[in-house]
Amino acid sequence: MPPTLCAIDELLRDSPQLWRGRQLAALPARATGFAALDAQLPGAGWPIGALIEIAPACAGLGELSLLLPALQRCCEEGRSIAFVRPPYTPYAPALARCGLPLPRLLWIAAARDEDAHWAAEQLLREGAAAVLLWSPIMADRALRRLQLAAEAGQACAFLYRTPAQLRSSSPAALRLALSPAEDGVQVRIVKARGGHASGPVTLSLHTPFT
Amino acid sequence: MLWISVLLPHLPVDLREPAPSRALAVTAGIGPHRCLLACNAAARSAGMTAGMDVPAALMREPALELIQRSKADERRALHGLACWAHQFTSDVCLDLARWTLWLEAGASLRYFNGLHTLHAQLKEGLTRLGYTASIGVGPTLEAAAVLSRHRDVLPALNFRELRRVLAPLPLSSLLLQRAVLEQLQTSGLCTIGDLLGVAQASIGRRFGVELTHYLQRLLGERPDPRRRHRMPPLYRRRLDFAQPLEVLEGLLFPLRRLLQEFQGYLRGRDVAVQRLTVTLQHRNSPDTTLQLLTSAPQRDAQRLFALLREKLERTALPQAITRIILTAQDFVAPQIIQGDFFDDHARRDDSWTALLDKLRARLGPDAVRRLGLRDDHRPENAWCIAAEDQADLTAACNHPADGPSAACLPDRPLWLLQPTPLASLPLLLGTPERIEAGWWEGEDASRDYYLARTAEGARWWLYREVGTKRWFLQGLWA
Repeated sequence: MPPTLCAIDELLRDSPQLWRGRQLAALPARATGFAALDAQLPGAGWPIGALIEIAPACAGLGELSLLLPALQRCCEEGRSIAFVRPPYTPYAPALARCGLPLPRLLWIAAARDEDAHWAAEQLLREGAAAVLLWSPIMADRALRRLQLAAEAGQACAFLYRTPAQLRSSSPAALRLALSPAEDGVQVRIVKARGGHASGPVTLSLHTPFT
Repeated sequence: MLWISVLLPHLPVDLREPAPSRALAVTAGIGPHRCLLACNAAARSAGMTAGMDVPAALMREPALELIQRSKADERRALHGLACWAHQFTSDVCLDLARWTLWLEAGASLRYFNGLHTLHAQLKEGLTRLGYTASIGVGPTLEAAAVLSRHRDVLPALNFRELRRVLAPLPLSSLLLQRAVLEQLQTSGLCTIGDLLGVAQASIGRRFGVELTHYLQRLLGERPDPRRRHRMPPLYRRRLDFAQPLEVLEGLLFPLRRLLQEFQGYLRGRDVAVQRLTVTLQHRNSPDTTLQLLTSAPQRDAQRLFALLREKLERTALPQAITRIILTAQDFVAPQIIQGDFFDDHARRDDSWTALLDKLRARLGPDAVRRLGLRDDHRPENAWCIAAEDQADLTAACNHPADGPSAACLPDRPLWLLQPTPLASLPLLLGTPERIEAGWWEGEDASRDYYLARTAEGARWWLYREVGTKRWFLQGLWA
């Protein structure tokens, strides 16, 4: 490349006023702990103060392990994490083994879905670092409320949904579809605010299967 | 000594809040002797005054609502108020018959940053409790009481000022029998100054030694020993409703008032509560009891009210409420949050515990769970729901090795399921893990655990009971 072109290229790269289509926006985010995934996400991690939708194809393909490195970081910061209305019992020995201090975990077993939403919102607003919510909600309004609560508390709101629900629109900042992979999980970014669509990423997880 | 006298001139009607816009009066006596004891603002503006005959009052205002006086209610209210007042001073005196309360302020003036601030705080607190009060300040109890009957009188901070302040006030402000007052007035004495100008010996001769003693107590020339109000070691406050409350909204105002009073009591004793009982009584149904348990010691009326409200909204009331009782008996040292200029960590913890209380109040005490470990080989017994104890949280985080250490734990799936019988088997992987335990408890579990992968790609954890062909799914590697 002639030297003048190199200089122009350098100038363009360093200029903060210029945004290029392939570039990811620098949003506040929390590293996921998976370098391959971080590279695809704006801000290089789970967006902070935002709603994140995760839609696994079925239960038991690594949908929780995907969050563990980030959750562990939250606990190290001295903040709490809440599981709101999980479909099964979060198994304490496995969580402790993964390095999550159990006293920092909160399990909210709300009987009704509205109560679960309310609890998730309250937790997001009042200082939980991350809230994991399992809910069949479809209403746009409820999603918006979660997004606002996450913004107010500068927390990460992870909402677990079904793949079919990804077809409808949502105010979430990040939407991921998960499918099984040989020694881990395959992540497809359906929507990323401040980013762009890219091919699926395969992440390897530490399970006794590998 | 400096006494603040709090006179509640409309006590009986103040108890009948929330203030109705229509004219209301509380009456005393029966039959022809029935007369008005106190009137609310609407009745006063219609020209009713205390002491008026009931027929005369009804003639002027036919819509006037009349309620018979309840001395017991007044007594309970004054005792409750005295408990509340202990937050300002440790010396509180009470005169039930005169609807008056005295607070010794001389010792706590510096703490409250002067009389003006103390006066303002007292006044604001009383208004919040729903009382109309008039306040007087003087060096003796009786002087403060006299001054509290006048709105625009300056406080008398010492005995020299006292004579000057008292002098222009009318004789009717004194605590005198009607006959004595009339006699004095016909003798040409109009003001307190006139009376104090007369030689005490001659007053004693004509009106009895009681009057001279009273005047001496007024001026501080004679000791005035009074029994101090003592705070009860257990708190119990009862509130009766003249008309049973049908709707929940009607209960919120009196409840807030009760908790405000309770907050004053807690501050006065410098304690906090973790356990509080509110009993709602009905005419023909068993009582409704609300137990409030907070995770951290609490003494803020606002917070307690918010928690109780959550609880109340989820309680079905069988009938209208005739009485509400607030009781507390276990008191603990309060957690005072000191403001830190650089770190708001403590404040954050405080709002976090408040949140947990809120969640528990709405979702039920068992819905908010923390996880714990148990030393057991059977997967379903290797975990437990930990007892909630906020005080241990920080300690537990610093020493996570409570029970089995995290590093020694076997590799386990993140989701645990109730063992579900399987009809068909997915693809099994690797070698089984044998778990045999519980035979010493008569719950013999002898199982071979396998990893498996389903056709959809999910990772399962399943077991076969040894010696049988029954398979169960117990975990998911989520």
